[in-house]
Amino acid sequence: MEISKRSRITILDKPLSRGKQEVSLSAFSLLFSEMIQYSQNRVKSVAELQTKLSDFGYSVGSRLVDLLFVREKGGKREIKVLNILLFVKVNLWKALFGKEADKLEQASDDEKIYYIIEKEPIISTFICVPKDKGSLNCAAFAAGIVEAVLNSSNFPAKVSSHWHKGTTLMIKFDESVITRDKSLT
Amino acid sequence: MSKQPGRGLESRKLVGELFTLTYGALVSQLIKDYDNDDEINKQLDKMGYNIGIRLVEDFMARSNVDKCQDFRETAEVLSKMAFKMYLNISPTIANWSPANDEFSFILDNNPLVEFVELPDDHPDLNYSNILCGAIRGALEMLQLEVETWFSKDVLKGDNITELRVKYIKRLTDALPAGED
Amino acid sequence: MTVFLLHIYDRNGNSLYEKEWCRRKKSNLTKEEEKKLMFGMLHSIKSFVSKLSPKDSKEGFLSYTTSQYKLHFYESPTRLKFVVMTDINVGNIRETLKKIYSSIYVAYIARNPMCDLAEPINCKLFESRLETFMKGLSFFEDSKE
Repeated sequence: MEISKRSRITILDKPLSRGKQEVSLSAFSLLFSEMIQYSQNRVKSVAELQTKLSDFGYSVGSRLVDLLFVREKGGKREIKVLNILLFVKVNLWKALFGKEADKLEQASDDEKIYYIIEKEPIISTFICVPKDKGSLNCAAFAAGIVEAVLNSSNFPAKVSSHWHKGTTLMIKFDESVITRDKSLT
Repeated sequence: MSKQPGRGLESRKLVGELFTLTYGALVSQLIKDYDNDDEINKQLDKMGYNIGIRLVEDFMARSNVDKCQDFRETAEVLSKMAFKMYLNISPTIANWSPANDEFSFILDNNPLVEFVELPDDHPDLNYSNILCGAIRGALEMLQLEVETWFSKDVLKGDNITELRVKYIKRLTDALPAGED
Repeated sequence: MTVFLLHIYDRNGNSLYEKEWCRRKKSNLTKEEEKKLMFGMLHSIKSFVSKLSPKDSKEGFLSYTTSQYKLHFYESPTRLKFVVMTDINVGNIRETLKKIYSSIYVAYIARNPMCDLAEPINCKLFESRLETFMKGLSFFEDSKE
């Protein structure tokens, strides 16, 4: 046992994934739905379920963020709000969904708030939510991913998912982020 | 809310890392929720089964495969078509039992374990156990009862990852209620 | 030409879905009884027909015709059963039945994780797709009465 453990090839011995391997969307959808079913049996409300999904997303995002910065940006972090948002819209989205997000917008009345808009989110392609769970938005998973990426890049923010022009992720940065960004110009 | 899958959508591909990490997030949640590895393995197998019974419909609708003549053909179809279609890998088929009722898939390039290393306090966790359930569920829908398990796993220090499939029996249609 | 009804059964004979179009004369059975008897009949025909067959065949039972209607039968590889009743002038519609399975059932039920496979189908998208598909068939004719 001890010997086999020592001879084990560790993850550090392998080259970093290039992110080129693809799997089928059906396989992912079914895995995702099992995740929903599993969580559903452990929560009492749709809101709680949504939080669970967001937690799953957070766990994915926080694992992905370093990989992405190393692979896509040569290990350099973003320090500007606009750049990190573009990183999410372009690099993160491509790594996750194979395409850029459809739109990035800023709220007209609040400089802390930005929107990422996806007309047809790939995650919920095959998911038709039954009426009794009407308000469930599976994009909570994507929201969790984005929140993790922003938080681990030192842009503390809250990300929530909404139905608006397709699916909209609302990013609300912490006050400190905006203040810092202004001092950088 | 209801999206209408357009033509060809079902054959769309997705970046493997999202799949790998999502699976990882699921396993870590199970590790939090259950006390022992056996329970986690069971839960993963059950989820795999649920996936398998749906995936087989998808597979049949897309592939036009006819009934397999024997278990060897079943193994070929699983490796060359099903694994290929869904996980983009084609595991090697090996180690047939003399009676031709048991074989192994050797998984060289398992996308589920791309970033994984087993924690030392989970020595009995079969990380990819969901695959066992999926194969079992899919074949059961085609009236083939099998047993599936991981006999070797690189995550546990073995030199290969080996998923064993054993033929149990052909299932027959249940008679409708009220008939004899 | 006319389509009278469509039934879908799961592998254990539970009715998953049924839809009738311009079926004017009903049997005097309750819905439940009728479905149960239909499944029993199909099961018996299917197994007896293949026993009688002089050669092994993959397809087996395809349809039967009475003086008033024709019943078409298709079983998916996963043993879901699709039954369509039409008037007797409709030819072989096996491909149509296969399509109901592969392009409608699989697309909207099997791939839809929110639909329980063991429960009767309750999915708007499935129903509306099926309705459009059936009405688009060359031999579908909605009665105007």
